[in-house]
Amino acid sequence: MVSDNFFPQPGGVESHMYQLASKLIDRGHKVIIITHAYPGRTGVRYLTNGIKTYHVPFWTIYRETTFPTVFSFFPIFRNIVIRERIEIVHGHASLSNLCHEAILHARTMGMRTVFTDHSLFGFGEAGSILTNKLLKFTLSDVDHCICVSHTCKENCVLRASLDPSMVSVIPNAVVADNFRPLSQNEIDSRRSSAPGPPQPLGPNDTITIVVISRLFYNKGIDLLIAAIPRILASQPNVRFIVAGSGPKAIDFEQMVERNVLQDRVSLLGPVRHDEVRDVMVQGHIYLNPSLMEAFGTVIVEAASCGLYVVCTRVGGVPEVLPSHMTEFAAPEEDDLVAATNRAVAKLRSGKVRTDLFHNQVKQMYSWTDVAQRTERVYDSISTTRSFALIDRLKRYYGCGIWAGKLFCMCAVVDYLLFIFLEIFAPRERIDVCKDWPKKAVPVAKLGEEEDVESLKEGGVPGRKRNSRHRREKRDETDESSAA
Amino acid sequence: MTTLITILTRLASPPPQTLHTHQPTSSTVTYTVTTRPALTGLCAKLGFYVGISARVVLGMVAVLVVCLKWCVSLGIGISVLGAFWGEGGERGMRRIMKLIEITDGTYIIPLAILVLFLACKRNYKEESLTIISGLGLQTSTTSSFYLRSPSTRFISTTAIQDIFIHEAFKGFEVRFYLAVVVEGEREVVVVFPSMLPRRGILEEVWREGRKCLWEMGEKG
Repeated sequence: MVSDNFFPQPGGVESHMYQLASKLIDRGHKVIIITHAYPGRTGVRYLTNGIKTYHVPFWTIYRETTFPTVFSFFPIFRNIVIRERIEIVHGHASLSNLCHEAILHARTMGMRTVFTDHSLFGFGEAGSILTNKLLKFTLSDVDHCICVSHTCKENCVLRASLDPSMVSVIPNAVVADNFRPLSQNEIDSRRSSAPGPPQPLGPNDTITIVVISRLFYNKGIDLLIAAIPRILASQPNVRFIVAGSGPKAIDFEQMVERNVLQDRVSLLGPVRHDEVRDVMVQGHIYLNPSLMEAFGTVIVEAASCGLYVVCTRVGGVPEVLPSHMTEFAAPEEDDLVAATNRAVAKLRSGKVRTDLFHNQVKQMYSWTDVAQRTERVYDSISTTRSFALIDRLKRYYGCGIWAGKLFCMCAVVDYLLFIFLEIFAPRERIDVCKDWPKKAVPVAKLGEEEDVESLKEGGVPGRKRNSRHRREKRDETDESSAA
Repeated sequence: MTTLITILTRLASPPPQTLHTHQPTSSTVTYTVTTRPALTGLCAKLGFYVGISARVVLGMVAVLVVCLKWCVSLGIGISVLGAFWGEGGERGMRRIMKLIEITDGTYIIPLAILVLFLACKRNYKEESLTIISGLGLQTSTTSSFYLRSPSTRFISTTAIQDIFIHEAFKGFEVRFYLAVVVEGEREVVVVFPSMLPRRGILEEVWREGRKCLWEMGEKG
């Protein structure tokens, strides 16, 4: 798997890749991840289950994306692919330059390629046009494409003019166990009410609405800023918890101060991904005002925590949850206020059984399922035949008047570079890596979990990695001596 | 076409590395990785000695020429050369004198430095790891010139925390390396730092080295 976006940076693509990789490894595949170097995170690293991560030292430009040096990545990429004996290259995220380059090089080397698109794009802006062209370049020669929702698929097919039959939809998933609603004990300790079935909220109980989002324009924060005072004015017993940071944070704070809502709107600032659940369970309703969303993992997480979801009807959001868990609104101020009011009223009347949401979500979304479906995609492309260079060039040529010729030139140069490398850095001179031992030793596993925890905190002390490495090697020697 | 490719491949390939293990006693072992070809057969041995003597002669000639130039510039050239040559080679002596006199110093000195450089340059690399059970280990890298002592580093057993093999980016490729974790140092000490031998060699050294360093010590 190749993408610019990976840990330690937080985000949806990152956790998608991590979860998918670990599930694929559980299913007996070998997965390595190639990403660029982050500060304090370079070289070759191991994560849980022996997911090997190559942090290629490249400089980054815009939003953690590497500088597009079309060919300079090829020698390293070829080296890694040969030493790890890779058969399928799976790129993630359309803004990731590393992913596009890797797919181009992989095709030159005659490997199978899959691309997963995680985002929606417009067609009008200059940035989008450029990205779309680049996407077309990559996708005109990819074996299969995966999108996270049907809307995303439509968008992707249009942007890259693909054959819809080679695009599959595999949604994201959540680790439902990490997003459990409050258990009975926790509720008891919080409020001293009698145990029993959950009671409907009375008309005077406070309903808490949670918003967790990066405070960017495309997440609909302007909408939220306009809607909050109106919702609070019409509903006396409602309060907001807002978590996240971003450029819109100042506007948000100004809104709170202007309307003197400090006691009813609490701003938590940025929260770590493992703290999201703790914030979510404090509320009853989750409000997602996003203007553009390909999938919206966060609303699945919210539903899994037993929150009723109010969200805007944009992008892939309507496909994500069944209608009894959500209240939809058009992405405009009036409708959002109305929808929120409807949701509050429904909760008060006890029509929604939010306590059942967790198990329903658990059945709908699991990473094991995602991994199975991805595996099926891998199986299907492994049987198709490879295309010759001339076929690839024909496809590239059809990409546009000027772009087609440019893409052809890139492909030809890439092929020449490939031949050059075959001569001056032949395969025999590249050592093949040992695979991570399949058999899990309980002691070793403990150590790894420790390491992943410290990974999440950012930065592994070198000593720790070494100790684990030693353990791994010891396993190897044990095996070899046994043999 | 194929022959051309094979020729190109052979030209571009680095010299082959070999591992020599030398174990004088049961508790001491030296692993040497070298690009020096093994001296087998009369021809190889002869070639080696001829090469060495050619280097010595060339180096001496370069030094001598610079000395003479200096003497000439001082005006005592004839007498110095006479002391070398004796009485017999009067004609040859004069010819050389003339040559040195007419050649400009700005050419002679850089040329002499170049010749000296080439004569002293080592045409192979050699790196070694010596392990003494219960005492420690010493890494050593030959310098790229003759007549200079190799750079060595000794690490005592008490300071060694671990020895491991890992991978890292090096130029445009990912290479394996054998490294020693030293107590109280931020960075690990890489064994065979400039050669970075292939995995097979590293694993052998790693496996045997650990055995020698720790298991032997525990027994004794």
